[in-house]
Amino acid sequence: MLGPDTAAYLIVSAFLFATGALGVLIRRSPLIVLLSLEIMLNGANLALIAFSRHFANGDGQIFALAVMAVAASEVVVGLGLIVAMARKKLELDVDKLSSLRG
Amino acid sequence: MILFSASNVLVWIVWIGAAFACLGSGVAVISFSNPFYSALALIGNLGSLAVLYLLLSAEFVAAAQVLVYAGAVMVMFLFVIAYLGGRADAPWTGHLTVQTTAAVVAAGALLVEIVLVIAGQADGHLAGADEITSAFGSPAEIGRLFLTDQLLAFEITSVVLLVAAVGGVILGSHSRRADDAGA
Amino acid sequence: MTAAAWICLLLPLGSAALITLLGTAVSRRTAGWIATLSCGGAFAAAVVSFVSMLGRSPEDRSELSTAYSWLAAGNFKVGLSILTDPLSMLMMLIVTGVGSLIVAYSLGYMDGDDEERRYFAYMSLFVFSMLMLVQGGNLLLLLVGWGLVGLSSYLLIGFHHERPSAVAAAKKAFVMNAFGDATMAVAFFVLIQKTGSLEFATVFSKAGGLSSTVLALVALGLLGGAVAKSAQLPLQTWLPDAMEGPTPVSALIHAATMVTAGVYLIVRTHPLFELTPHVQEVAAGLGTATLLMAGLIALVQNDIKRVIAYSTMSQIGYMFLGAGIGAYANAMFLLMAHAFFKALLFLGAGIVIHALHGEQDIRRMGGLRRLMPRTWWAMLVGGLALAGMPPLSGFFAKDSILAAALAREDWYGDVLFGVGVAGAFLTGLYTFRMLFVVFGGEQSAYVREHPPHAGDDRLVDWSMGLTVGVLAVLAVLGGWIQFADRWTAVTNFLEPVARSVVEASGTQETVASICAVLLGLTGIGVAWWVYSARRSPAPRSWAVLEHKFYFDELYNGLFYWPAVAWSRILDWTVEGPLVNGSIAGVATATRRTGGLFRALQTGLVRLYAFAVAAGLAVLVLVFIAVR
Repeated sequence: MLGPDTAAYLIVSAFLFATGALGVLIRRSPLIVLLSLEIMLNGANLALIAFSRHFANGDGQIFALAVMAVAASEVVVGLGLIVAMARKKLELDVDKLSSLRG
Repeated sequence: MILFSASNVLVWIVWIGAAFACLGSGVAVISFSNPFYSALALIGNLGSLAVLYLLLSAEFVAAAQVLVYAGAVMVMFLFVIAYLGGRADAPWTGHLTVQTTAAVVAAGALLVEIVLVIAGQADGHLAGADEITSAFGSPAEIGRLFLTDQLLAFEITSVVLLVAAVGGVILGSHSRRADDAGA
Repeated sequence: MTAAAWICLLLPLGSAALITLLGTAVSRRTAGWIATLSCGGAFAAAVVSFVSMLGRSPEDRSELSTAYSWLAAGNFKVGLSILTDPLSMLMMLIVTGVGSLIVAYSLGYMDGDDEERRYFAYMSLFVFSMLMLVQGGNLLLLLVGWGLVGLSSYLLIGFHHERPSAVAAAKKAFVMNAFGDATMAVAFFVLIQKTGSLEFATVFSKAGGLSSTVLALVALGLLGGAVAKSAQLPLQTWLPDAMEGPTPVSALIHAATMVTAGVYLIVRTHPLFELTPHVQEVAAGLGTATLLMAGLIALVQNDIKRVIAYSTMSQIGYMFLGAGIGAYANAMFLLMAHAFFKALLFLGAGIVIHALHGEQDIRRMGGLRRLMPRTWWAMLVGGLALAGMPPLSGFFAKDSILAAALAREDWYGDVLFGVGVAGAFLTGLYTFRMLFVVFGGEQSAYVREHPPHAGDDRLVDWSMGLTVGVLAVLAVLGGWIQFADRWTAVTNFLEPVARSVVEASGTQETVASICAVLLGLTGIGVAWWVYSARRSPAPRSWAVLEHKFYFDELYNGLFYWPAVAWSRILDWTVEGPLVNGSIAGVATATRRTGGLFRALQTGLVRLYAFAVAAGLAVLVLVFIAVR
C-alpha cells in the first residue's frame, strides 16, 4: 500500500472518536452535541474503511455506507427534536432538560 | 516502511494535509461557541475525511460522503441553525467543573488505550495490507456487494431511512398543530 | 361387640363435624338436638356393646380392633385401634351415659345463648376425645385422646371468651395440662426406646425386664400426666378457675369425666405401677394430701361452683388413694358413683344459678328451699351421696377404698385411712354448709328482689328437670351394684383387666364404714349447728385457707415471674438488637442502597453519556489487560 500504514489511519480515527466524545460530554447545547456525535460516527467510519482496505474486503465499505445512512436518519430526528423544543420555548441546554415530561 | 518513490511521497503529503485538516476541524467543531462556525468546521472535517477515503481506495464511499454528509446532512444542520438564530448560541460556562475534568479524563483514557493497542500493532495483525484489485471500492463492486452478499443490510438501511423520514414528518407536523391550537 | 364400640366412638365425632359444617344453616336448638341425639346414640351403642360383652365368658372379654396401620417407623408400628375390654367398657358407659344426660341438660341451660352451636360442637368433640382416651388401643392413641380432651377443656372453659377471666382460666388449665402431657410424652419416649412399642400387651409384658430406674421414670412420667389432668397436688390450681366455663361443662368435664382420666390412666397402666411400688405409694400419698387440702379449702369458698369443684378435687383424691394402693375396682366404682352425684350437684347448682339470673355467691342466696323444692330434694340427695351416707351410692364406693387402705396393714395404710376418715368429716361439713346456706334459712334480700321464676319454655324446664331427676335416681341406686365383699359386681367385672391387689376383710370393711359414716354425720351435724340452726356464729376463716394454701402465689413466683423476667432480658438483648435489628437493618440497607441509586437518576444526559464513556474506557482497559 502506498502512503502510511493502516495504523496511521487508525490513530487518526481514534483521535476523531476521542474528540467527538469529548464534545458530547463537555458541550451543553444539544446542537453542538449532535455535531460532536457526527464526528464520532465519522471516526468510526474511517476505521471501517481503513480495515476494509487492510483486509481487501468490501464489507467494511458497505458497513460504512450503512452507518452514513443511519447517521443521516438520526440527525433528522435529532434536529426535529431541537426544533420542537425551540417551538416550545424550552431553553436549549442539556443540563436543564433533565426531566422527561412534556 | 516508507518507500521513496514519487507516488509514495505524494500520497504522504496528501495524507498529512488531510489528516491534520481532519483533526484540526474536529477540535474546531467542539471549540467554537458560534454553532454556525462549528457546522462549517464540520463540513471541512467531512471533506478531509473524503480525501482520506480516496487514499484508501474507497471511491464510492468518498463520493457518498461528500454528497450525503456534506451535501445533505450539513445543509439540514445549517437550515436549523439559521432557523434558531440567536437561540442556537452555545457559549462556554467559563469555570471548570468536576464534570468537565472527568470527561476529559475519560476521553483521554480512551484515546490513550486505543493508541497503545495500535502502536503495539495489535499482536501483529496490522503488519501488512493485502493487495487489492482495481475494482475494489468502485461503484460496481459496492453495488454488487449490496445486492448479493449484504442484501439484508441494504434492506434494513432503507427501512431505517423510511422510519426516519416518517419520524421527521411527525415531529414537524405535531409542533405545527400544537402551535395552531395554542395561537 | 367392637362394631358397636366403633359406632360409639365415631358418633360424637360425626356430630361435632356436622354441627361445624352446617354452621348457621341449622337453628341453635337443632344443633343441640344433633349433639344430644348423637351422644344418646353413642350410649345406646355402648350398651349394645356391653350386653354383647356380658354374653362372653370373662376370659374372652378383651378385644383389640385395628382400623388401619397409622404409623410405621422401622420396627415401631402403631395402628389406629380401639380396645374393648371391661375397663374401657365401664368408662364408655359412664362417659356416654352421664355425657348424654349433661348434653340434654345443656339444651335447656344454654338455650338463648348466641353461640349455642359452638358449644354443642365443642361438647361433641369432648365426648369423642374422652371416648378416644378410654378406648384407645395403644398408649399413643390414649395420648391423642388425652391431648384432645385438654383441647376441648380449653375451648369450653374459655367459651365465654369475651370475659378475660375465662380466657385466663382456660390458658391456666391448658398450660398445667401441657406440663402433664410433657411428662407423659417423656415416659412414652422411654417406653418406645426400651420396649420398642406402645401396645399395652407388649409394654406390660416387657416391662418386667426393665431396670427399676427406667420403670420409676416411666411411672413418674405417667403419674405427672395423671396428676395434671386430675387436678391433684401439686398441679391442682387450675380446677377452681375452670369454673369460669358454663355449668354443664363443669359438670361433664371437671367432675364426671375428664378429671377422672388420671385415675383411668393409673388403673390402665397398673402393671407398670405395680412394678414400682414406691411411685404407686407416692400416687396414693398425693391423692390423700389433696383430699385433705381440698376439703379444708372448700370450707371457706363462697362461690357455689367452687365448693363443688374443691369437693371434686377431694373425691378424686380418694380415687387416687384407691388406685395408689392397688384397689383398682374400688377406685373405678367410686369414679362411677362420683360421676353420678357430682354431676347431679353441678346440674342442680346450675338450675339455681339459672333461676337467680347468674348469681353464684352463696352469701347472697338463702331460703330457696320453699321456692325450688324439687331442686332442693335433688341437691339433698346429691349431698348425702357425696357425704357417704347409706344407702346412697357414695357410701358403698368410698368406704371400700378406706377398707382397702386398712387392709394394707402397715403404718402407711393406717395413715391413709386416718386422713381419709378425716376427709369424710370435712366432706359432710362443707357440703352441708353449702346446702344449708343456699337452701335453708330465710330468703336473702337478693332472692327477694330476683325471685326464681319458671321459664316460658317448656323444653328448657323439662330438659333441665328430667336430666337432674335421672341423675338423682342413679345417685341413689347406683351404689347397689357392689357392697363390700357381699356382692361385688364391679370387682368381678374388672377382674380380667385390673385385679385388685388388696382385699379387705369383713371386719375391716365394717370398721371403715362405721368410722366414715360416723364422721360424716358429725360433719353434717356441725354444719347444721352453725349454719342452719345458728346456735353458734360461723368461725372466722383462716387466711391460709382463703388463699388456697398460697399455691397460686407460689407458682406465680416460681414460674411466672422468672419467665417474665427472662423474656424481658431476651427481648432486650436478643429481640431488639438481633432480630429487630437485623430485619430493620435489612430494610435500612435496602433503603440506603435505593437512595444511592436514586442519586444516579439525575436525568442529565451528560452524566449518562459520561458514564457510558467511562465504562467504555474501563472495558477497553480490561480487554487490553486480558488480551
